[in-house]
Amino acid sequence: MGQIKRIHDMLLSGQITCTALTQQYLDEIENSNKELNAYITVTPEVALAQAKAVDEKLARGEEIGLLEGVPMTLKDNISTKGIATTCASKILTGYKPIYDATVYELLQKEGVVMLGKTNMDEFAMGSSCETSYYGGAKNPHSLDHVAGGSSGGVASAVGGNLAVYGLGSDTGGSIRQPASFCGIVGLKPTYGAVSRYGLIAYASSFDQIGPITHDVEDAAIVFDAIAKYDDRDSTSQGSAATLPTLYDDIKGKKIGIANQYLSGVREDVKAAVLEAAKSYEEMGAEIIYFDLPELDFALPCYYILAMAEASSNLGRYDGIRYGYKAEHYNGTHDMICRTRSEGFGKEVQRRILMGTYVLSAGYYDAYYKKAVNLRGAIVEAFDRAFEKCDVILAPTAPVTAFKNGYLFGEETDQLEQYLSDICTVPVNTAGLPAVSIPCGEDSEGLPIGMQLIGKKFDEKTILNLAYQYEQKEDKFKETKWGVKL
Amino acid sequence: MKYELVAGFETHVELSTNTKIFCSCTTAFGGEPNTHCCPVCIGLPGTLPKLNEKVVEYAIMAGLATNCEIAEIAKMDRKNYCYPDLPKAYQISQYDKPLCEHGYIQLSNGRRIRILRIHIEEDAGKLIHNHGDTYVDYNRGGVPLIEIVTEPDFRSIDEAKEYVERLQQIMRYIGVSDCRMQEGSMRCDVNISVRPEGSEKLGTRTEIKNMNSITNIAKAMEYEYERQCDLIESGGAVVQETLRYDDATGTTSSMRSKEDAHDYRYFREPDLVTINVPRERVREIEARLPELPEQKYQRYTEEYEIPEKDAALLTKYRSISEYFDKAIEGLKSPKTASNFIIGQIFRRLETEADKEAFDVKTTAEQLNEMCKLLEGGKLKNNLAKKTLEQMLDTGKPVTEFISESDMAGLDDATLTEYCQNAINAMPAAVADYKNGKEKALMAVLGNVMKQSRGRADAGAVTKKLKELIG
Amino acid sequence: MVTREDIENIALLSKLFVDEKDLDSLTEEMQKIVSFADTINNVEVKTGEFDNINNLSNAFRADEVKPSLPSTEILKNAPEQAEDHFLVRKRA
Repeated sequence: MGQIKRIHDMLLSGQITCTALTQQYLDEIENSNKELNAYITVTPEVALAQAKAVDEKLARGEEIGLLEGVPMTLKDNISTKGIATTCASKILTGYKPIYDATVYELLQKEGVVMLGKTNMDEFAMGSSCETSYYGGAKNPHSLDHVAGGSSGGVASAVGGNLAVYGLGSDTGGSIRQPASFCGIVGLKPTYGAVSRYGLIAYASSFDQIGPITHDVEDAAIVFDAIAKYDDRDSTSQGSAATLPTLYDDIKGKKIGIANQYLSGVREDVKAAVLEAAKSYEEMGAEIIYFDLPELDFALPCYYILAMAEASSNLGRYDGIRYGYKAEHYNGTHDMICRTRSEGFGKEVQRRILMGTYVLSAGYYDAYYKKAVNLRGAIVEAFDRAFEKCDVILAPTAPVTAFKNGYLFGEETDQLEQYLSDICTVPVNTAGLPAVSIPCGEDSEGLPIGMQLIGKKFDEKTILNLAYQYEQKEDKFKETKWGVKL
Repeated sequence: MKYELVAGFETHVELSTNTKIFCSCTTAFGGEPNTHCCPVCIGLPGTLPKLNEKVVEYAIMAGLATNCEIAEIAKMDRKNYCYPDLPKAYQISQYDKPLCEHGYIQLSNGRRIRILRIHIEEDAGKLIHNHGDTYVDYNRGGVPLIEIVTEPDFRSIDEAKEYVERLQQIMRYIGVSDCRMQEGSMRCDVNISVRPEGSEKLGTRTEIKNMNSITNIAKAMEYEYERQCDLIESGGAVVQETLRYDDATGTTSSMRSKEDAHDYRYFREPDLVTINVPRERVREIEARLPELPEQKYQRYTEEYEIPEKDAALLTKYRSISEYFDKAIEGLKSPKTASNFIIGQIFRRLETEADKEAFDVKTTAEQLNEMCKLLEGGKLKNNLAKKTLEQMLDTGKPVTEFISESDMAGLDDATLTEYCQNAINAMPAAVADYKNGKEKALMAVLGNVMKQSRGRADAGAVTKKLKELIG
Repeated sequence: MVTREDIENIALLSKLFVDEKDLDSLTEEMQKIVSFADTINNVEVKTGEFDNINNLSNAFRADEVKPSLPSTEILKNAPEQAEDHFLVRKRA
């Protein structure tokens, strides 16, 4: 049984009150956050008030939903009314949104208990969580290692049992990669399945909100609650419920493996993924190998488009309406430039500059326009691949969790960090859903993750396949941190 | 050397939708600062735009009314530039796929001003500068605009003035904008160049931004034309630049500062989806378009033989022409109603705004009733004017001011009686008339009219008097 | 080839200050990223059409007014405000 259903049963049976459960999580956050650095803001008043409402409902003998009273967290780029939302950036210092993101609204209707806002790479730009103004979140399997990024805080909190589940966002792998690094489950939904309203934009045509959970069933429950059409987001469509088919048999399902996904991947990671393929064969699925040469240019294509959109999305931080404002300046132009130069971290500035460059006169055709065309080619390539198979199996990341200081290491340059996103970005480029689940561990005991990539709006098939693998192999490894149920 | 003026227009017109282009805030003019705002239109992080369907409809109407082709596929783009009045640091506009293209507006001299494109976009907020401090109000931010771009087809300032008036008139007719330049709901940018008369090659142009009255447009163009001519004559060269017109000094000056690098980095707005305009939709909108001023003008002058000057006055505002159209229903001579409107009603409407509002007590139906009585001989011509004045004062129908017997006219017995009375009362005049002094009869006629309180028909009286005197 | 002038120009467009002393290293860094981006120009692709990711069209909103927020809410996060306006002082 998944963790959410277990807690649901505990609350129903009266084994524990929601308030007591919430307090346990708050206590553990208090104990462990200094080390894991998963949370930027903890919201005990909010969580306890929400918990109290659930307890009152239970006391009245009313029915409660599966997510009701289950303590969770939101990545700190999801807007919460009256609660600091920082994007892990100095530039949003003091900012408290005056509205709720659609996903938080939906979860509040489900009776959510929100423990706080979790750490991330600044503006979701990074793969280690180390570009955070508040310092990176640590990996609950090893404090020497990063939690991954950009949704490192959510992954650290869920892997470290400082929340039952969390919502992250995935622009180029930011849900799946940290989930993989922390040995848990991360679902990046189809572009358009979950409303982006209230998600602070990094790259608008790539960003998607999705769940990071202990297990696949939890991911299905949370996804079904948030994958709703929202008329405030023109690109929102909702998606079909995944829970009804989650436990189905997978016999006869066709699983594709694109050779390009395995090249350049560390041997132990590759072996773990191929081992998983074998396991699927044992369950009656068919494995099909093919080439997907378009994957070779997915990474530069993604970075060009994402940085271009980011450079525009981040233009609004000018010190006038919200957030940080430079203390000393002379004139409006100077104020804006100082605010941005002092308020944005280095990586964010780098991506803004790069995005501005590829959009600027003289370079637009060679970079932005060309990348848009290539994006079309990548979409078509996946369409053709999905004529041959139901899902594609691939590693989530070419390696396991990086050592701390990865970002600042002498030997790692910027490009190398970008290259580590090679396995995750094609999915965002094509707008597809993908779920990352643990499939082994490396010699140091760090989790290895694999992802199942699906057709658009076919989250139910990838979750069904992920669930059956999890039931058969159970590669989940508990950490020493947090609340023990 | 003589120089020819070459000019083109970019006109921003605020659409009179109820709500802003991307959120549900009101577009109402004025309001306390920052009270017509929401998270979307102040660009809070995480908010998303949602396109107002009416904006698309209004832009298509504007396109159809200016003879444009309507795009089947259009899209929105981001125009990136950083300025405190632009809360997202980009304006959502249309770059390479605007809603309308390739139209024209016909001028009275027969020339056509080609319209390159009409696109939709959002307005910026308002900045108030005070001792170097800047105060920002976002009430106008996100109000929908259409930008109408012409080819450089203007050759004179008169053409420019007429174009702006025509554009105003058309937009008001189709009801998409009130085009009040004073309130900023219509703003013009003009690009100007000059070239030696007879030359085909375009000169270097300058652009004068944001002018908000026709007078200023004319003055600014005049000044800029002279400036460029003088510059070239004295051996200099025109520099391509953006200018502002200073009303107080009557001069233009450069707006560029080293802080504004101009590279808008347009790209597809990823937060909005494609705009698809099916042809049925265009036909449906076209069918609902009201008769345009030019069509009305033609009908009035050709079918009703109304003088051109009068027809121009009647068609200037949709409210007037609609009033007129209602007032002439079933009339033999529409010109009668036209004369009353221009001669009498207009005198009560002092300003252009009054004329446009056309708030008169007498309804078009009431004027129509009066004109019909007049045409049927039931209301005497010489009474009409006074009666209409009374109607306009009170808003009451014509029947309130003429009695049953008035409406029936004078019967023959009464007429004979009045005439006999007059003859009896004025023997001297009658004698003069008999002695060949034709004019003397006028005095007698006056007496009859007095008795009849003006109801008698002068022709009939003269005839009767001559008969009785013999 | 990315030049110092390119960096100065895009920094101005981005409203970011680049320290004179960082200009060379930043130019070099950007050159690396641009070279990486440039790899797409070695790719021949037949396809070209990309509209929006799910080929959606006509997501419209009805023209119905909903209440705006009070200016106190709108100005709540303003670093500086005066007389119901956002305020940018000339200097600080």
